[in-house]
Amino acid sequence: MSGETKTDFQIVNHSIPRRDGRVKVTGKAQYVADLRLIGMAYAKVLRSPLAHAKIISIDKSKAEAHPGVYCVVTGFDLDGLNPYFGHAVKDHPLLAIDKVRYAGEPVAAVVAIDERTAFEALEFIDVKYEELKGIFTPQEALAKDAPLLHEKKFEAGALRGFEGDVTAGQGTNICQTHKIQWGDVDKAFKEAAAVIEGDYYFPMTYAYAMEPYVAIADVTDQGVNVYSSAQHPFMVRHDLKNIFNLPVSKVRLIVPFVGGGYGSKSYTKVEPLVAACSWKAKRPVKLQLTVEEAMLTTRSDDAYTWMKTAVDKNGKIIARQAKIMMNTGAYAENSPLVVEKSTNRCVGPYAIANVLIENMSLYTNTVPASSYRGFGCAQVTLPGESQIDELATKIGRDPYEFRLQNAAKPGEEFFPGMRPFDGTLKQDLDTAAKAIGWGTPLAKGHGRTVAVSGSDAGAYPLTSTAVRVHADGSATIMTGSTELGQGSHTVLPQIAAEELGITYDKVNVISSDTAITPYDRSTGASRTTTLMGSAVQEACQEAIAQMVVMAADVLKVKKEEIQSVRGGVRCGEVELNWSQVISKFYALPDGEVIGRSYIRKSGKFAALPVFWEAAATGVELSVDEDTGKITMEKLATVGDVGLAINPALAEGQDIGAATMGMGIGLFEELVYEGSQLMNGSILDYRLPRFSDLPKQVELHLVQNRDGVGPYGAKGGGEASLNSMAANIANAVDKAVGVRIRQAPLTPERVWRALKEKNK
Amino acid sequence: MMPLRKFSIHQPSTVAEASQMLAQYGEKGRLYAGGTELLLAMKHDLLRYEHLVDVKTIPDLNRIELKNGALMIGGSATHRAIERSAIVKQSLPVLAEMETKVANIRVRACGTLGGNLCFAEPHSDPATLLTALGAKAHVQGKAGVRAIAMDKLITGAYETSLAGDELLVGVEIPVLAKNQRAAYLKFQLKERPTLGLALFLELDGDNIKKASAVVGSVSVSPTQSEQANRLLTGTRAQVEKQIGDAAEALANAADPVDDTEGGADYKRHLIGVFLRRAFVKALA
Repeated sequence: MSGETKTDFQIVNHSIPRRDGRVKVTGKAQYVADLRLIGMAYAKVLRSPLAHAKIISIDKSKAEAHPGVYCVVTGFDLDGLNPYFGHAVKDHPLLAIDKVRYAGEPVAAVVAIDERTAFEALEFIDVKYEELKGIFTPQEALAKDAPLLHEKKFEAGALRGFEGDVTAGQGTNICQTHKIQWGDVDKAFKEAAAVIEGDYYFPMTYAYAMEPYVAIADVTDQGVNVYSSAQHPFMVRHDLKNIFNLPVSKVRLIVPFVGGGYGSKSYTKVEPLVAACSWKAKRPVKLQLTVEEAMLTTRSDDAYTWMKTAVDKNGKIIARQAKIMMNTGAYAENSPLVVEKSTNRCVGPYAIANVLIENMSLYTNTVPASSYRGFGCAQVTLPGESQIDELATKIGRDPYEFRLQNAAKPGEEFFPGMRPFDGTLKQDLDTAAKAIGWGTPLAKGHGRTVAVSGSDAGAYPLTSTAVRVHADGSATIMTGSTELGQGSHTVLPQIAAEELGITYDKVNVISSDTAITPYDRSTGASRTTTLMGSAVQEACQEAIAQMVVMAADVLKVKKEEIQSVRGGVRCGEVELNWSQVISKFYALPDGEVIGRSYIRKSGKFAALPVFWEAAATGVELSVDEDTGKITMEKLATVGDVGLAINPALAEGQDIGAATMGMGIGLFEELVYEGSQLMNGSILDYRLPRFSDLPKQVELHLVQNRDGVGPYGAKGGGEASLNSMAANIANAVDKAVGVRIRQAPLTPERVWRALKEKNK
Repeated sequence: MMPLRKFSIHQPSTVAEASQMLAQYGEKGRLYAGGTELLLAMKHDLLRYEHLVDVKTIPDLNRIELKNGALMIGGSATHRAIERSAIVKQSLPVLAEMETKVANIRVRACGTLGGNLCFAEPHSDPATLLTALGAKAHVQGKAGVRAIAMDKLITGAYETSLAGDELLVGVEIPVLAKNQRAAYLKFQLKERPTLGLALFLELDGDNIKKASAVVGSVSVSPTQSEQANRLLTGTRAQVEKQIGDAAEALANAADPVDDTEGGADYKRHLIGVFLRRAFVKALA
């Protein structure tokens, strides 16, 4: 760990073993798949074989007559519901209505006594389609004779989370556009000493989580209860409330442990469908997707980027222009926000005086794209950080020195109107470069590079929490943050224990039950430590303030005479811990105090982004020129996290993110041939394995306490992904002299580039 | 993967009983020897069977022994058992080494050599090596016992020359004589190999008297070419000169196609790369 700060922290900034580790590795942790309600039925989904087609008719009589089947639900059976959902754009029917827009779209669901019966009945549903012309790329979506995917105009979702107007459903296939501009790029390009320009492609990828989507719904006249593997239960609650036209108080989302999300479980997925099944079947229903079905549910937006970057004669970057087209698939999901974020993230983390970025996402007849770890940043960091290396090579500069010269400085408002930069890129880069042996001799066929990314992270600051301090001096955190494996349920009690001055073991966490836990907008965008962490810290402080008043009451002194000390209060010679304060106040050894916190876009959270998520990565790789295969030799991650509440968990997030980024750099790509996804299973979609990691891995943290979160913390866990594909492309260029502007850099692509070069 | 449809498992206690069951169930039945490929296909609903004839419980069908200069490996011996067998490691290390790299440890622990060969998935590592080594499959059915050369056993993707009532009871693999060499190499990015290449050489001093190069995974079944094998004979220096032509002949015979694992030209190129590497390795 670098950037060591001297602190007198007792609990935070310590690598306490993760709280959920033991139950998870012993198989005792409960996930939605493990839950069973009394009288529960099981659903299975019939999916469209066609990418774009009108649904002429659905005959479900034979399937409904199949022994053990309760009912079959189709798009024709949804009268009484508002069947369209979407927090950004309400374009997504919970089952295909009138037409299908991608191969794999749910067309009907069978509800039966068990999963196998439901599955076996699927083939008895007879759907008649009239096939329509499909469009599969942004270019096809923009063609003059392109068929329209969505004929109707949409209502904007109330929780869309972005500023611009909704452009979806306006008679074109454009889902969303975004543009940022300052300075004068044309003028700057004319005056530039050197310019680099190129076309780049970032692939469709699948955010593989070990747990595929799963939900149980129980819809009764009491309301809608849903157990789900959702990252953002409050967002899903909002969609369900609209679908069933219920008050918020009658919709309850409960999220137990989640088996990984990486963005793929953000926002609403299978919950409306399973709730509709329960509503029809009049009993609780579980729907558990297979991995292959999950791969037909969401993916990352693939991106076609043209980018141009210029420097002046002193090596200062003076201009960047980009035009991006993103393939958002059949439904908007969270892609409008991905478009906005990827536009912003073309800039950072460099201070560039002239910028013009135009971005557009398009509907196509492919699996809907949505959030994916890094959130649009990886898509544009491939071109962005490639061009930094390409420019450095062109002007004969060391790419590491060139980055140092141009990187945003601490406190610099490099993005007009946004929060000044709150990281230390020089230290990040220095640490990464040193870790991979920058400047030391390199074997033939090896390449070594560093890269950075800085993204406007933290999403929107709207978070609340309650911390209940009990009469025995223990405490319970009520949090809407979901434990996805990232470690929130270890980090949050560390903060509470530190603030209340009690032992870590005495703090429990109750989470993600919208009927019980206070509102938290989302668990994503690396925001939990910063926002929920701040909320927990404030709630503890508010509880302490209440207990100071209670202590004054108990001791019959003025509030001002009570001094708060670690774990309790002092008044003259008398010391009371929290247990004594509460027990004496209630005159019984029971009862509690509830500390609260409401965080909104004000005070230290008034400026957006909540924080800049910055990280550097360094790689050394070698290339087998005969086959084109890349071998990773060294990897370093440097998370610029302000202060790591739990350094081991922060480093774990970084290696996880870097490994995911490495997967995109080396082999992850969903491949479409015409209308069909060709590799929609993990047999054919190549995920990174432990054996792909280099033998030498170094994980570093830079901790300058410059974040807006508790004790100067800020978020991490995405940024190490963003720069990896560019890093790999740059290192391949250094190793064997070929510039590849497309990820993944599969052996075949590298071989083809080498063949082209050696022509 | 979907829930499995209902099926019955039958556990015969002899090969003859298994054969009789296979005959009885016909199209509705299938031999089940490990399930790493069969059950996967059934979970994906690509195959449906009402009856599985489980041969794993037939006594001695998993035996590994050395007999008259050949390894005899029972049809239900698992990859893991072969990989760890002292007899195999000692008498035919190239086979043990190939087996250590089949799929992953979970597959190797359940998957059997007989199942692998008879399922005839085009990316089989064993099929490619065993073809180069001149192995024979011993099969038994109603009509009795017969031996089939490896290249006659696998007739296409997922296709064998076995009759409906026949099952593979074992594989006979000649062990290498003092003047024989063999190597198996593969190139793998995904779950299954992109290419497997096996090379068998018989030496006479510095001369290569006989050669057998087999490429797998790039086409429907392991392929060799008489022309390639001819070009791989002669003095070492001669063969080194001719190895490019041999690779081309082998590529022509395999005739790979463009698919998600790579373009045909890339696979043809890889055949050359790995033939050269296998040659060096075999003679090392």
